[in-house]
Amino acid sequence: MKKLLTIIKREYLTRVNSKAFIFSTILGPIIMLAFMVVPVLIAMMETGEVTRLAIVDQTGRIFDRVRDSIINEASEGSDPSLPGGLPMDMSQSPEERARQAGMAMKGDIKIEKVAPAGRPLEDLKRELNERVRRKELDGYIVIPPDVLTGKKAEYYGRNVGDFMNSIQIEEGLSRAVNEQRLADTGVDQNLLREMSKRVTLDTFKVSEETEEQDSGEAFFLVLGVGLLIFIMILMYGGTVLSAVMEEKETRIAEILFSSVRPFPLMLGKLVGVSLVALTQFAIWGLLIGGLSIYGVATLKGQGMDLQIPSVSAANVVYFVLFFLIGFFMYASIYAVIGSIVRTYDESQGFLLVAIVPLILSFYLVFPVVRSPESTIAFWASIFPLSSPVIMPVRIISQTLPFWQIGLSLLIGFGTVILLTWLAARIYRIGMLMYGKRATIPEVWRWVRES
Amino acid sequence: MTSSQTTVSLEHVTKRFAEFTAVNDLSLAVRAGRIYGLIGPNGAGKTTTIRMIVNITAPDSGAIQLFGQQMNAGSQDRIGYLPEERGLYRKMRISDQLLFFAELKDFKGRTAKDAVDRWLERMKLVEWKNKKVEALSKGMQQKIQFIAAVIHDPDLLILDEPFSGLDPINMELLKGIVLEFKAAGKTIIFSTHLMELAEKICDDICLINRSQKVLEGSLRDVKRSFGRTSVALRAEGGDGVLDDRSIVASVKRQSDEVEALLAEGVDPQIVLKLLLESGARITKFELVEPTLHDIFIEKLSEGT
Repeated sequence: MKKLLTIIKREYLTRVNSKAFIFSTILGPIIMLAFMVVPVLIAMMETGEVTRLAIVDQTGRIFDRVRDSIINEASEGSDPSLPGGLPMDMSQSPEERARQAGMAMKGDIKIEKVAPAGRPLEDLKRELNERVRRKELDGYIVIPPDVLTGKKAEYYGRNVGDFMNSIQIEEGLSRAVNEQRLADTGVDQNLLREMSKRVTLDTFKVSEETEEQDSGEAFFLVLGVGLLIFIMILMYGGTVLSAVMEEKETRIAEILFSSVRPFPLMLGKLVGVSLVALTQFAIWGLLIGGLSIYGVATLKGQGMDLQIPSVSAANVVYFVLFFLIGFFMYASIYAVIGSIVRTYDESQGFLLVAIVPLILSFYLVFPVVRSPESTIAFWASIFPLSSPVIMPVRIISQTLPFWQIGLSLLIGFGTVILLTWLAARIYRIGMLMYGKRATIPEVWRWVRES
Repeated sequence: MTSSQTTVSLEHVTKRFAEFTAVNDLSLAVRAGRIYGLIGPNGAGKTTTIRMIVNITAPDSGAIQLFGQQMNAGSQDRIGYLPEERGLYRKMRISDQLLFFAELKDFKGRTAKDAVDRWLERMKLVEWKNKKVEALSKGMQQKIQFIAAVIHDPDLLILDEPFSGLDPINMELLKGIVLEFKAAGKTIIFSTHLMELAEKICDDICLINRSQKVLEGSLRDVKRSFGRTSVALRAEGGDGVLDDRSIVASVKRQSDEVEALLAEGVDPQIVLKLLLESGARITKFELVEPTLHDIFIEKLSEGT
């Protein structure tokens, strides 16, 4: 297998030394950063300006409470009693998330009081509408006199679709009204705040040895395994394909096959290109990892309570293994495609078909999370095309016997080898009978014949 | 290695692709230290035969022996192969590329690097060492390809149409190298459909047509056994004699000369007499050996 190493070395070095690799390694994070930062910047631009609200308090006594409550609602982001962790924490209700997102943008709110002073409501509204139209105001709230007994308040705004604002207003308003109701019964305000604190739920998985905390982040890490495979395939599938087709297009295949058997050649290409992909990802990973450790440390230094997802070392090893198997699996499917087609154009139709099983695996994730012990979950985690996505999900959501994980890895590994062998075989025979593109029955015949 | 040794032998080798038989019951023996010409028209089965010898594809039946052993992947390292389908990695530097091909033959390290320098010098391509292949002209690429075939100093060199597309100067350069290999006791298999070339360079030949062997032997034996005589003739008149197919099998007219291939068993003396009797004025009458080209044409037309 010395020749395998020679092939791997060439595939790896020629790619890593290319300008394209250096450029994409540098540009990759910049583009990714742009994708993440630009939308946030755009969102900030809109909420960055002061939101000006007016409140028509027809009760005459609740204005202060509503104002404080809405402003509180908008700036509660630094409240340490709220659950920390990732900004997009799916374990929370949608309103909760929206609220947090709203707070993250922290638009300043200015609230002015409009005293009815005996004027009819219609007059006031006409005047306020005019101010909204002149953009002196973003909106106003009309609190009816009998709001405490359940009458609805009304919000008039330039942009009623801005649901961040309306949720803040609704929450603030109802809290203020509740407080007022309780205050009317004589309950102390501080006690009140203490009592109305939210409850957050921490979830734990019971395993044989210990109970591990599992606060949802681990679940995202698991989905990350699948996503990473998906991203890698989208990014490097084409490279695998063109690597396999390179000798076909440059007609080097014949001289290579006079020195090395097709299987080491194919395996060498697969491993070489994959190492290039992993190198690039490792560079980015170290960069992102370094930055996030720095970021977490800084935030912790400022008193923020952030948790780093807790995953056992064994599981990390499993995730890495399934990630590798998954990547090689789909890369070898691309190698098979590359060995069948004659030109890159011809491959386009096949490429989409190849990742369909990967996409279907993602659809299976949710049923599997709900019942990880079902038959479908078992087979999806054993079947080689879906196991790299599904097995990590099962590992995290239930305690699995080792043989299942081992079997899944073994079948995955076997499939990669089989696909590579298949690609090598189709490639060699295809090279010997150049001319037209092979039909599927022909390919099948090649595989059966020597 | 003595010349009695056999470097490559094929025994009753057959290779089919689906319904098409590319090589049919072919037996041949390539003697060590000689240049063996595998000749035949396009599509005769030359390339398939070579591919079986270099272990790219396996025969359906029959046996192939290399260096006196059953063929194995290890004997691949002792072969240098220049395929008809030429190709190099376009984006790779010349020196890296040659080292890669050498390493695939298990030839590496300092000696391989020295060999690359030596061969580039020999081919007058030193200044291109660190250039990429795509910067090279077709002819230069051809020479790089040739280096890739010989760099590991193989015991058996297989050249499939090696000189196609080369200018006369480079052709002489490569021919000289091939003859050096022969002088060093190496065996060379030379596949071509250019008869003049095969005639000049080969010791032994094997003529293949329609996936079967037509004849095999040393060039001298092949010519002798052909049993025909050609006459190079410069004369005025005598057309009646030349047109008589019982005397002259075929006539090839050149500018001011006629090359007449005599019919089987016809004595040239008789032809000369008949010509004189017919009143022809003869300025040249010379017996010439039949060319490989003549034999080739004759043998192929026999088959149809």
